[in-house]
Amino acid sequence: MFAYIVRRLAIAVPTLLLLIVFSFLLMHAAPGGPFTSERGLPPAVLANLNAKYGLDQPMWRQMLTYVWGIVAHFDFGPSFIYKDRTVNAIIAQGFPVTLTYGAISFVVAVVVGVGLGVAAAIRHNSWLDYLAVGISIGAQVLPNFVMAPILVLVFTLWLGWLPGGGWEGGQWQYLIMPVVALSTSFMASIARITRSSMLEVMNSNHIRTAKAKGLPMRKVIIRHALKPAMLPVVSYLGPAFVTMITGSVVVDMYFSTGGIGKAFVDSALNRDYAVMMGVTILVGTLTVLFNLLVDILYAWIDPKIRY
Amino acid sequence: MALLEVKDLGVSFATNDGTVNAVNGVNLTLERGETLGIVGESGSGKSQLAFAIMGLLAQNGRARGSVRYDGREILNAPPAVINPIRANHIAMVFQDPMTSLNPYMRVSDQMAEVLIHHKGMGKREALANSLRMLDAVKIPDAKGRISLYPHEFSGGMRQRVMIAMSLLCNPDILIADEPTTALDVTVQAQIMQLLVELQREFGMATILITHDLGVIAGFCERVMVLYGGRVMEAAPVHPLFADPTHPYTRGLLRAIPRVDHEGGALDSIPGSPPNMTRAQQGCPFAPRCEYAGDDCVQALAPLTEFAPDRWRACNRSLEELA
Repeated sequence: MFAYIVRRLAIAVPTLLLLIVFSFLLMHAAPGGPFTSERGLPPAVLANLNAKYGLDQPMWRQMLTYVWGIVAHFDFGPSFIYKDRTVNAIIAQGFPVTLTYGAISFVVAVVVGVGLGVAAAIRHNSWLDYLAVGISIGAQVLPNFVMAPILVLVFTLWLGWLPGGGWEGGQWQYLIMPVVALSTSFMASIARITRSSMLEVMNSNHIRTAKAKGLPMRKVIIRHALKPAMLPVVSYLGPAFVTMITGSVVVDMYFSTGGIGKAFVDSALNRDYAVMMGVTILVGTLTVLFNLLVDILYAWIDPKIRY
Repeated sequence: MALLEVKDLGVSFATNDGTVNAVNGVNLTLERGETLGIVGESGSGKSQLAFAIMGLLAQNGRARGSVRYDGREILNAPPAVINPIRANHIAMVFQDPMTSLNPYMRVSDQMAEVLIHHKGMGKREALANSLRMLDAVKIPDAKGRISLYPHEFSGGMRQRVMIAMSLLCNPDILIADEPTTALDVTVQAQIMQLLVELQREFGMATILITHDLGVIAGFCERVMVLYGGRVMEAAPVHPLFADPTHPYTRGLLRAIPRVDHEGGALDSIPGSPPNMTRAQQGCPFAPRCEYAGDDCVQALAPLTEFAPDRWRACNRSLEELA
């Protein structure tokens, strides 16, 4: 197992390098640049700026300098747009925010989703099942960019219970709506996957054996059914977790939470190459790590899987 | 009072194609220590009969009638009644040892939980008892293998584990539902030999469900022949084999391939088993029976005792069949 983890981490290095190369090329292939504006800068100024940020260098040179900066100094470079801020600083400011509401959303989505899915499967074809299915379909078809303004409308404008936006260090009033908006669709997916997987497991032979042992239903479910039923859920959770903690543009926009979701979209629009690369690498690294984590979890759940 | 008394048991399933009547009006009694064989072809309802007794029917299944264990009604009983009986008093061995053990749990945990739950044993004591039982079913190096997962055992060894698991609480009744069907022939013989020895050693009453008449002959005192969810014939094993009184039983016995039989095609019963979705009034075997008349399509004769402990359900008299 240990050797497997080391091997997977070793493979992660070329994976991330490829990610860097392709994002770099794609980014530069997009028309315009960080200093393109409607007014148009005098050519001399533009040349100076390009020289300062190394944009006058050939592409491979820029790439090498960039990668070297990361490897040697863990320095993701300066922002091309905000003169006084580095990419490290922008991520350091935004990532804790997204990590906070993302992780909370994740926990909410998993707990509610798994609970709803298991309940629906156990009471298959009962009102509880239909209710759970109804909720999860409703939650899934309601995109968060529709959900977010409705939440603001109801809870801020009509009822006046919750602040319409802001972060304030992550106080709970400011967390509720972002968490609801972000977790809903994931919760719905998790509920759906859990339900169908649980239904399948509950019909399997080894569950019949567990019942024949005279165990009460609660024990049959917890000891015998839950673990195998979680396998397909776990494989969904890895990528879902990364998506959630790396933020949502919609949440950042509607609730002014100031996470990196907004920073990422802004950087793409402004051709802020360094910020864009920084966030891409962050997401890439997290994806690689959590996929590995999922694989380890898999081996823990299913003894037939050996690496 | 019989140990197990099944009265007028019926099992039906609600399916998209209508109601399937898998078992109809089955009666049986099982005395302490007795071995009863239930034989029938696929779809005869023999497994569903066992599941109904254990309360393990699929969700769309309904059971009617009465099943009394030691005088207590257990058919469709609430969990508080049936759970303390399962495994503890009536245990079951399933058909497919590959999938009937929990693949995600160590054998030790799967076995120990039975004793912890029913006998209130501590983990250590439960494990010691489980190990003794694995030795009893002759698993070599049980000590070294008890903490393995099921997939690390061969099919025959897994069935031994299943059998050991079912005997942990020293049940009064063991229901073995085609315990050797999923195994290859040499292993089948070993498992049956093991069951014979264990039955002698532990003395539990046993219901052996199988489609293999040879297995019945070697193991059971009494036999019940099931067809289309109905009992066709029931008798002690020797008279049934020596002198079958039902056309279906005769057909079954004729269809056994014989080593000393030179050449020629194998005997078979013409036709195929009935479609169980259609409501039945007559004898389910009538369409395939060479003796069937119009009366057989109209109504099935009730199971009657024509000689001491010999039962048959057939409209034709013994003289007519001779």
